[in-house]
Amino acid sequence: MPELDRDAGRLTFKLVYYGPAQGGKTTNLMQLHDLVGAEMKGELMTLETQHDRTLFFDLLPLGFRAPSGLTIRFRLFTVPGQVAHDGTRKAVLSRADGVVFVADSQRTESINNGESFQNLVENLGRVGLDIDRLPLVVQFNKRDLPAILSEDEVRERYAGAPWPLVFATALRGEGVLQTFATLLRGVWQGYAQELELDSTHGLTEETFVAAALGGAA
Amino acid sequence: MSVEPGFDREFVLGELITPRDADEICTQLAAVLGQPVAVLDAAGTVFAGNAPGAGSVQAPLTLELEPVGFLACACDAVALKGAARVVRWGLLSRARFRMVSDLHLEAVRADYAKLQQQNEALRASEAKYRELAEILDAKVKEQVRIIDERQRQLYQAERLASIGQLAAGVAHEINNPLGFVNSNLSTAERYVAQFAALRDMVPAEKWKAADLDFVLEDFAELLADSQQGVARIARIVKDLKGFSSVDQPDVQLADINGQLESLFAVIAGQKPPGVTLTSELSPLPPLMCLSGHLNQAFLNILQNALQAVGESGTVTLRSLATGSHIVVQIDDTGPGIPDEVLPYIFDPFYTTRGVGGGTGLGLTVARDIVLTHGGTITAATRPEGGARVTVELPL
Repeated sequence: MPELDRDAGRLTFKLVYYGPAQGGKTTNLMQLHDLVGAEMKGELMTLETQHDRTLFFDLLPLGFRAPSGLTIRFRLFTVPGQVAHDGTRKAVLSRADGVVFVADSQRTESINNGESFQNLVENLGRVGLDIDRLPLVVQFNKRDLPAILSEDEVRERYAGAPWPLVFATALRGEGVLQTFATLLRGVWQGYAQELELDSTHGLTEETFVAAALGGAA
Repeated sequence: MSVEPGFDREFVLGELITPRDADEICTQLAAVLGQPVAVLDAAGTVFAGNAPGAGSVQAPLTLELEPVGFLACACDAVALKGAARVVRWGLLSRARFRMVSDLHLEAVRADYAKLQQQNEALRASEAKYRELAEILDAKVKEQVRIIDERQRQLYQAERLASIGQLAAGVAHEINNPLGFVNSNLSTAERYVAQFAALRDMVPAEKWKAADLDFVLEDFAELLADSQQGVARIARIVKDLKGFSSVDQPDVQLADINGQLESLFAVIAGQKPPGVTLTSELSPLPPLMCLSGHLNQAFLNILQNALQAVGESGTVTLRSLATGSHIVVQIDDTGPGIPDEVLPYIFDPFYTTRGVGGGTGLGLTVARDIVLTHGGTITAATRPEGGARVTVELPL
């Protein structure tokens, strides 16, 4: 549940980029940092890495002010993808308000994608989040590489799943904003009524997404 | 949903720096900027340093999106901004450190909780397996005991069977000649009578010289004695057959007193002359049993009693019926059973006799047979001396 601090007039969404190791989660945040034109944009905070792999998490803060004066803030986290860091991954995932699952499109990574998604499902259960209600977007990254699953193959595999699919090449910034925008729509749809985003704070789905992206879309 | 603050909470100024450290920073910055410097928190109240005077400017300390505090000083705004960047740098490092250490703690705690759960589960399963092992152990011991017992019963059954066959064979072989001996003796008696009738035909002096009066009289007596002997042999053979019960190998209604009497007749021949056998048998209801096996059990106990009394003494056989049981007691006037022997008296191959004197199986076999009939067997030394073995068989 997003954290609403009425005294400070602040509403904070925690969004988590999940996925297999070296799938491009950090790259997504780096690109977002460059591409998003939100009213408020913090620095990308990258915690310790080891050989270019995230050990703890990355954090990108974004935000804007709603017509009502409420400050809407997004804190985008990545998790460490390596299997061994499951404890950290679970801690980062806790209290999430939305998740982007960054999958690796390469054929050789199918099993890793599957295991990581299974891990996401298990950890969501452990931290008390309901996968049926949590806004979730699946991004198939690395579309620029050879030997990848075709879009049709991916769509076929995910035909039975309820989550929106986005194709991306994060390294070139392609699909990164679209992924984020798709997640924002899911978040708005998921929480708007409860938080009175539309009625009290003057934020429709369109204005919500547009403000968060800062017209970059 | 309210949860305890996680690593991803927003830090306030007080969490990132102590007022003392902030005071130190203010002092150092004041020296650089040439004016007193204050650190304000997010709400604008003084956190450290001197309250800013009139004409002071503020520079935000922003870690993410919004300031966690401000620097305030009556100096050049650009210079203060530069100072704020330096202070922010320090605060950001503290914030990163706090986030990472809190995250690490959270992860470690979760892992620890998980390990404890696993440990608990392991302990539970270990206890379960230990219990299982104990049950298995007990079961194996019980099975071994049963196999042991069955083996003894089998041994006993085979022994009984061979004794029975032998007895049946002997009885058959003896009965045939016994039949014609008996018949011949009767005929001979008749012949003697005929010879006696010839008395008047023979000259008196010759009759007298041969002492035929005595011969005829003694002859009849000898024949009568022989017939008695034959009758006795016939009875012994009959007892032997009855004892081995070769004719009735299955469970059947039997008269225990009858069995005991024929048993007594069998061992009467084995006893030394100085030993007295007495029996005090009360009327008993018939019992469903393996009579041959029970006979073997009583015989074993009686033989033990005979061996205990040695050359002289008394062995008493007693039977009585309670409402639910038939009780058979065998008392002897021997030395009794030493206390150190008593616990082992029914153990297989336990014997107090020398090599070749006993197998150590007699009482074991007796006990097994009694147990097979659902009964109990106890041995004790009587207060007045001598041993008493008591067998109780349920009706």
